Amino acid sequence: MVRPELARYGLGTLDLDGCVTCGDIAVPVVVLEVAGSEALCEDRLGQRARVAVDFTPEAAPGDVLLVHLGVAIARVGRETP
Amino acid sequence: MKFVDEFRDPKLIRAAAEEVRRLADPDRHYRIMEVCGGHTHAIYRHGIKNLLPPNIELIHGPGCPVCVLPMGRIDDGLSLAERPGFIFTAFGDMMRVPGTRGSPLEYQARGADVRMVYSPLDALRLAQENPDREVVFFAIGFETTAPSTALTLMQARALGVKNFSVFCNHVLIVPAIRAILDSPDMRLDGFIGPGHVSTVIGCRPYQFIARDYGKPIVVSGFEPLDILQSLIMILRQLKEGRAEVENQYSRVVPWNGNLAALRAMAEVFELRPYFEWRGLGFISQSALKLSAAYAEWDAEVRFELPGVRVTDPKAAQCGEVLKGVLKPNQCKLFARECTPEHPVGALMVSSEGACAAYYHYVHRAAAVGR
Repeated sequence: MVRPELARYGLGTLDLDGCVTCGDIAVPVVVLEVAGSEALCEDRLGQRARVAVDFTPEAAPGDVLLVHLGVAIARVGRETP
Repeated sequence: MKFVDEFRDPKLIRAAAEEVRRLADPDRHYRIMEVCGGHTHAIYRHGIKNLLPPNIELIHGPGCPVCVLPMGRIDDGLSLAERPGFIFTAFGDMMRVPGTRGSPLEYQARGADVRMVYSPLDALRLAQENPDREVVFFAIGFETTAPSTALTLMQARALGVKNFSVFCNHVLIVPAIRAILDSPDMRLDGFIGPGHVSTVIGCRPYQFIARDYGKPIVVSGFEPLDILQSLIMILRQLKEGRAEVENQYSRVVPWNGNLAALRAMAEVFELRPYFEWRGLGFISQSALKLSAAYAEWDAEVRFELPGVRVTDPKAAQCGEVLKGVLKPNQCKLFARECTPEHPVGALMVSSEGACAAYYHYVHRAAAVGR
């Protein structure tokens, strides 16, 4: 589903990570389900990807994560999964 | 799109711009550096510069890792691309960056196996799928990117993948800020601090800027209102004679950063004694290399590299632009020999580079009479 509320945390989407080497690109996503150290996530356009959650080990469905290069680097909020 | 509007509401933005004008002392000239390339782009894309009074000058900082990497390092990495049996992997935005004998894309055109990856984890998967090939990943980026390389190396070790290695070019933003503050031809009044880098390192590492140099720094988000609010916070500090680290982007940046990511970086990397930055020269303890525990995956340990220093084309003034001494259009090559289609320097290649931003949002707009 489309999630306009994620724009609050940034406009990046999973298909377009901009200039990825620049430290300042991160994509906000909502966690749908967690399996081990990977989570299935959805961005603001409803696109899905599996991301590594090793650095956000507390990630649970509904958490908003910032993803950089397939790895979640921060947990920044909560939404409906 | 309610939630985007929250940070792009024209009424709020006009009010914030008015507050900036109110706080700025008309008898003073302010030079404020936005450290990160993402902010440089946001400032041009949203026309924020046009909202500011003329005595507030925004200086573009060194916050694009591709732009600050000397050509010799690109040559060293690409020397591996041509070896038989090797697969050279890099992020998409490295693909057009020129080395002495061409960019990774040009190496690919000449027959080298060069592949673009989105994540270092993809490069590791490629190594697992091609056990008879050597897969090298050209790692680059600030502290936001380094944790993903660290995680990849930890997985390579856990899985025992031996045909994978990393050519490490990770750099650190804090020593670069210190070098800029120590630079004699640079006078700055404050900093707009990086947003996502700070999700990893937190706000504490910037404390020396306020404590030792007496300059305000405000960690900022990327929306127009974020940047204007950060400017307001900097101007308030200056007006009240304060110098502090403040966090405008607290909806994303925790004060202490991400401890799990920092732990992984501490395990996998160690500081290089010094590293060369394009434009800033050699800066001590400003870059990362793989720690001894990960030597088996360190391309610089495993393979012989030319290690030759290459000077930039003489006419290109990337260094002065990187330090904020020159504006991009003051470089002799800007929009003449050096364009996004035919870049001479990295600042024009990377979409976060100050020259590319200036070209797209200022030079072209002027050319079409906007």
